[in-house]
Amino acid sequence: MTAVGEKAPDFTLSDHLGRKVSLAQFRGKKHVMLLFYPLDFTPT
Amino acid sequence: MFSHANWARSMDGISFPLLADFHPKGAVAASCGLYLEDNGITDRATVVIDAEGVVRHVSSVTPSGKRDMAELAALCEEVDRGYSGSLPASAAPSGIDAGAKLFVKSACGFSRSVLIARDNLHLSDALPVVNVSEDARALEELRERAGKDQAPALVTGEGVIQESADIIAYMVEHTVPL
Repeated sequence: MTAVGEKAPDFTLSDHLGRKVSLAQFRGKKHVMLLFYPLDFTPT
Repeated sequence: MFSHANWARSMDGISFPLLADFHPKGAVAASCGLYLEDNGITDRATVVIDAEGVVRHVSSVTPSGKRDMAELAALCEEVDRGYSGSLPASAAPSGIDAGAKLFVKSACGFSRSVLIARDNLHLSDALPVVNVSEDARALEELRERAGKDQAPALVTGEGVIQESADIIAYMVEHTVPL
């Protein structure tokens, strides 16, 4: 389990427009909130 | 990916990246301990990582639960307050060209839908709107620029788009920042 205070593992995934998104590209620029969810078209 | 694109479209445009954690399935969730092997699904979990790459928050409402939006907003503010570094001002999306204009009409679901997308994408300042039901000159301009008076219509330097789904797709593609 990812723990508070630890470094988050970097990742690269495709977004809904087919673009590659890495956690690393937000470094020094933005905080990031990841909202994991089981299935598309389900509530937030 | 196609499901994601459709979902994003059905929400009338979203201003954040919707990521596919699918090949291999749930790999990123698993690396955070949030993939539920027994059910073969990802938990409905929230992780906040600050700009230094440090995890600041992890929580789950279980797959069938519902996240509390007010709590998430408060969480964002807390992370912001607790961050000692300085961050560059977030760049406003600027992909829509300055001369672009959105033509809508009253009592029209398609017009309403593109207006919601315009709000969701934070384009209220960047993309002016005219209502051809209320503004005769706007209607005249629409006929002139599009060749017909179908609204909604998005007129840009690149041409005219007259299907609401295409208008929303254009707005999303030109404004969602990474």
